[in-house]
Amino acid sequence: MSNVAIVGTGQTKYARRRLDVSQAGLVREAVDAALEDAELTIEDIDSVVVCSGPALFGAVNQPEKWLVDACRARLKPVVRVTSGGGTGLAGALAAMNQVKGGFADRVLVVAYDKLSEGALQYQISTLYDPFWGREFAVGIMGFAAAYWRARMDILGHTEEAAALVAVKNHKNAHNNPYAHVKKDITVDDVLNSRPLAWPIKLLDVPPISDGACAVVLASEEVAAKTVAKPAWIRGMAYYCEADNVAHRSMIQSVPLQLAAQRVYQAAGITNPRRQFDVAEVQEPYTCFELSYYEALGFCEPGGAAKLIESGATEMDGDIPVNPSGGCMGANPIGATALIRLAEAALQVTGKAGDRQVENARTAVVQAGGGWANLRGVAVVAADN
Amino acid sequence: MHRSSTRVAVVGSAQTQLRDAWRDRQHVDLISMAVTNALKGTGLTMRDVDFVIDSGSDILDGRSISNCGFLGAMGAHHKEESRVEEDGLWSALYGVTKIASGAAEVGLIIAYSKPSEGDLDAFYATQCEPFYLRPVGFDHLAASGIQAQQYLARSEADEALLAKIVERSWARAAQNPGVQVDEVPGVDDVLASEVVAAPLRRLQISRPVDGAVAIVLASRAVAEKIASDPVWITGMGAAMDEHAVPSRELASLPACEAAARSAYGRAGIDDPLTCSLVETSAGTAVGELMVLEALGLAEAGRAGALYDDGAPIAVNPSGGSLPADPVMATGLVRLSDAALQLTGRADFGPDGATSAIVHGTGGVGMQSHCVFTLEV
Repeated sequence: MSNVAIVGTGQTKYARRRLDVSQAGLVREAVDAALEDAELTIEDIDSVVVCSGPALFGAVNQPEKWLVDACRARLKPVVRVTSGGGTGLAGALAAMNQVKGGFADRVLVVAYDKLSEGALQYQISTLYDPFWGREFAVGIMGFAAAYWRARMDILGHTEEAAALVAVKNHKNAHNNPYAHVKKDITVDDVLNSRPLAWPIKLLDVPPISDGACAVVLASEEVAAKTVAKPAWIRGMAYYCEADNVAHRSMIQSVPLQLAAQRVYQAAGITNPRRQFDVAEVQEPYTCFELSYYEALGFCEPGGAAKLIESGATEMDGDIPVNPSGGCMGANPIGATALIRLAEAALQVTGKAGDRQVENARTAVVQAGGGWANLRGVAVVAADN
Repeated sequence: MHRSSTRVAVVGSAQTQLRDAWRDRQHVDLISMAVTNALKGTGLTMRDVDFVIDSGSDILDGRSISNCGFLGAMGAHHKEESRVEEDGLWSALYGVTKIASGAAEVGLIIAYSKPSEGDLDAFYATQCEPFYLRPVGFDHLAASGIQAQQYLARSEADEALLAKIVERSWARAAQNPGVQVDEVPGVDDVLASEVVAAPLRRLQISRPVDGAVAIVLASRAVAEKIASDPVWITGMGAAMDEHAVPSRELASLPACEAAARSAYGRAGIDDPLTCSLVETSAGTAVGELMVLEALGLAEAGRAGALYDDGAPIAVNPSGGSLPADPVMATGLVRLSDAALQLTGRADFGPDGATSAIVHGTGGVGMQSHCVFTLEV
């Protein structure tokens, strides 16, 4: 089966509040940028996949019904895929299947959230079961903190190691023209920042943002005619875990391991540390980036703290993670996963500007959402 | 007949009964009832299922990422899963492409609805954009009423026809064990029911019901091995109209026409009236006429003739969406009903049916449409 290519990407300027545009205007900005990058017009697009966080985040139900006008996609297939924070990658996977399954030759994926318009943590708390979970659940932070605490004991994911993630990603965000949080911080700044749900502290947490990202996917035949240098999707998967939080071991993420295993097999990855030139991961808290290092096979279980301390995941390391700054630079949740995919495509096509990793040819993308039970992986490469 | 290796079939399906309210069952109970029964008789177990795609609404469920809470009931644990927040027929479309792409062999498609615990008016009203439509209280009833006025002004249909359609739909639903019907409303009941969206009366608008439905999709290789009578999906199409209702064509459904054109084109169907049956998902009796015309089954304004004896195609033998509309699951129930009829296992439908057209819709004033064609 032939591969699918990313032939264009577009991102909006991110901000805590984009008061200058509506949700529709935000989406239009990303769509126009992606089409321009792909040197296509909307007439060339066969199908549109819209992704956003939970409808309650933005207070518009089924927002794709509104956004279709801004996308100028009237009378095209338009559908919304929503899978929590990783929805951008879940949507890209739906689009990839539309291409590979012969339903469309070119699919526009647009992912966005305008979190300034909703009550974020309140709506996240409604994830939990209304009878058995909601009364004591505290957004997504409470259980994330509990499991980080456990990983400290079992895997040595110290507060200092996580602080290094915050320092690295904040530093990298300086090189990303789209990022809206750009500040210099130190490990001490992170350790001394206000505890929110210990061990999670203020500087372990990304910002809340408005923003959109769009990507154009094309079949191999069409991509060959579309742009000089497409980024090839060598594998993509999105797995889930059913159990409620209390029943699971999050010491290692099983759905992430399953997704990585499947995608690595498709992409011929046997030594991730050596074969990947760059990684873009979705880190809703610093502690998660450490756990991804292990699930993605950059190091052995329990090796994440040493890996970040070694500098291997810095821009000048052997496997830079989040040259874009990751979520620390901007975190419009529903768009975040697609931003990771777009950034990976920019890296392997040499279009990443000041955040370019030299000679990057193969990139891995991680994304996820829900109560850390929805996990996706993609491999993007310069070579088909 | 086109039979590429990527052909996809419906090899199993099941639904809970569709009721006003399933007061003694939670969402997970309804979902697991449908899922368990869908696999029965297929020779497949949950272990054979490669992925799950599901349709439901966070707004109706009162719960963000509500699929997260139902993954166990859906059998999705440690499998690939995604939520398509649109009628279940779009989830089926996703599932078909995933199998056709070669990425999987067996998929489970699930849709459910429990409007008895939610606020259906708010579900539709919050779909309207917040600047121009929502502040004036525009909603699905307003859109449906305006559509009906425009359509009736240009068609042969009158109130008597609409009442006949409603009575016939409920009478058929009463023969369908999948739908709870306590009493079939007569023509007089329809004409006496209150006007809720002029000119539409209460009984001309679909009844929201609770329920869940599950479909098992399989690749050609698996389907031919396990099923004596796989139902092949021969065509699919989808299209969305613009959001701004005032600028839409109100007496016709161009998005439904586009979706049908696309599905028929893939299936190689020149004349849709050659199909044995059609199952539609309209939210009103007038909407049902408009859908039938958009599907190319009648000239504009003339779909009423399809309800006469001896009509060339069987329309909604299941009873259709008017007596039972499990919002977000309606189109997938239609697919299940059509597949059952084609395998001869339904308690309703024409004898010897070999092909079907299935329609799903979503949005205020039926903004989006999805069309499948099936064949045995």
